[in-house]
Amino acid sequence: MTFLFLLIPPFAAALLAGLVRPYRSWVGRANALLSLVPLGASLAFISRAVSGAPAPTFGPNELLRADSLSALILACVTGVAALALFLGPNLNVSAESAEQVRRYQIFVNLFIAAMLLAVSANNVGIMWVAMEATTIFSALVIPLTLTKASVEASWKYILIGSTGIALAFAGTVLAYFDFVNLVGPIENALNWPALMTNASALHPEIIRLAFIFLLVGYGTKAGLAPMHTWLPDAHAEAPAPLSALMSGVLLAVAIYAILRWKAVVDAVVGPTFTNQLLIILGLFSITIAAFSLVIQRNYKRMLAYSSIEHTGLICLGLGMGPMGIFAALLLLISHCTAKSMLFLLAGNILHRYNSTKIGQVSGLLKAMPWTGGLFTVGLLALIGLPPFGMFVAELALFRAGFAQSNPWLMAATILLLTVAFVSLLRHLNKILYGPIPEGVGAGENFGWRTALLFINVAVLTTLGLTLPAPLVTLLNQIIGIIVK
Amino acid sequence: MYNSLFSQLSILGASLALLSGILLLWRRNLSSYVDAFQWQSVVLSGLFVIVGYFDHNPELYLVTVIFIALKVFLIPRALRRMQTRFAVERERDPYLNVPSLLIVSGMLVILAYAVMRPVVAISSLPTRGGLPLALGLVFIGLLVILTRKKAFTQVVGFLILENGITLLALLGTYGIPLIVELGVFLDALMGFLVMQIFIYHLHGTFESIDVDHLNQLRH
Repeated sequence: MTFLFLLIPPFAAALLAGLVRPYRSWVGRANALLSLVPLGASLAFISRAVSGAPAPTFGPNELLRADSLSALILACVTGVAALALFLGPNLNVSAESAEQVRRYQIFVNLFIAAMLLAVSANNVGIMWVAMEATTIFSALVIPLTLTKASVEASWKYILIGSTGIALAFAGTVLAYFDFVNLVGPIENALNWPALMTNASALHPEIIRLAFIFLLVGYGTKAGLAPMHTWLPDAHAEAPAPLSALMSGVLLAVAIYAILRWKAVVDAVVGPTFTNQLLIILGLFSITIAAFSLVIQRNYKRMLAYSSIEHTGLICLGLGMGPMGIFAALLLLISHCTAKSMLFLLAGNILHRYNSTKIGQVSGLLKAMPWTGGLFTVGLLALIGLPPFGMFVAELALFRAGFAQSNPWLMAATILLLTVAFVSLLRHLNKILYGPIPEGVGAGENFGWRTALLFINVAVLTTLGLTLPAPLVTLLNQIIGIIVK
Repeated sequence: MYNSLFSQLSILGASLALLSGILLLWRRNLSSYVDAFQWQSVVLSGLFVIVGYFDHNPELYLVTVIFIALKVFLIPRALRRMQTRFAVERERDPYLNVPSLLIVSGMLVILAYAVMRPVVAISSLPTRGGLPLALGLVFIGLLVILTRKKAFTQVVGFLILENGITLLALLGTYGIPLIVELGVFLDALMGFLVMQIFIYHLHGTFESIDVDHLNQLRH
């Protein structure tokens, strides 16, 4: 039942926006309220998982399933989705932008629905179908205003994204091939628990091959270097709420897909193989991102490269055993909270300054005290300063790395993080201080739009000061699911 | 096993599909790409029917009907319409010249054989001989996407890559579960439509579908 509350509201919201012509602002308000229903549903999944009940399933052949891992990612997705819909361009719509906003509402809600389906699907084939759908729907939102930059970004995104995800499908087919060879073409052959149960009998060489395809494929969506080239373009050109969704949770959903397959592959060949691949790709992503951050001149691209850096960090953690996975999941939660807030604030800045160039934005603290203040908090949280969650997560990551006696790897990571740290602070400094450019108004009122973002600040601070017991239970359950 | 009619037909079909993919590497005319893709889809439909017949699997006939509607009629028709629109534009010199492209594609097929060796070894299906060719087709699709300069050709490359994966699933497992298959078709259709919209966007804003012109976004 809860699955219906999870999946129907976004489809209903898309339908509503599609049917009401011309677009009216009550549709936006209704859709924002509707987005609270899936959030409630995923919190229900979490409380159920924490209480130790078996994972609920739904539909013929147990089509949907929500264990602790799904529940955590679902909560991230629905939380950011609600935030994005409340702060999106849906209220007070002018006549000429009405058609654009209508299409935005349709595709963004379908995009959210696809992400939720990807995370709650039990069948890894359906998970793939939903992942591909996320590319299609999110790509449609990027060129809502046709500029050369947005058209270029959307083309790169759809082509690289679809090609990458097609390779993930080849990997899925290879794994299915091995499975069918073993147990015959049974109906639930692609269900994840069935894969896990029969994993010990699968053929190591074929599963390794399949995982390489899967990692390249879903890694493309997760923004792992060297398949990351679409990401800065797409995240920078998308409207702010979509950037928040893509950067905050779409990356997490792609990592979720990798994690599901990692569990299967580890059960076949042991964890060393996937760990090494994840560490190599993770470190490479952090390297590329850190040095790209140094030369950034555009604050939205700056945030995008920081996402690549964090995807890299998360993969590094996933490759370092149970302690590493614990750290990676904490990183994932903190990143989705901080990055969604930062991209939404970047939208405010763009609206006021009419430019995404760091060089043309100065005096933000004077021009927009609330936005500037929150932007500072978000960025400080992002670079891993206490008292925010990222600090604790990175500390846990380093502890895991040293415990695994990977001192050189950790030294390199710390060095690269310092590069990223310094360049992000330097860019932040340029944005915050200095004179306000001419033609940019000063002053900003405190409204509910600002107040909503304090939820993110509260989450980040809580995670930095304490680890709530239910969260620890949930994370330990997830580790138990992945590490058999 | 390799001698049975079924296995010979499947290897023949897979080879024809691969050849029609390689055709893309030396032709310049956009309309010949559409022809190649359409013929490849016809070959694949034939293979679907053959596998359905020998495996006594009526589900595959349903999949065949959808496949034909989508890949033999709908998508080639939309491609032709696009191609007449951009009739003036021919494919320019690719990033590699044609002889080296053909050499690379030959090496990719050999690579596919090497990669698929364990897969072919454990399979007992009569169709297993075609599996490396299917992966070869996937690699050729990737090569087309990477080396061509027209957005149009890249889309055809992507479609060929999709056909390669379909072939892989067909020969390796006689098709995937129906519900997944339907989802894949839906994605393929939507993905193609969106790519088509974006090509018109490209043509509208850059006055060309040449991806060399895409240089607004750097660093």
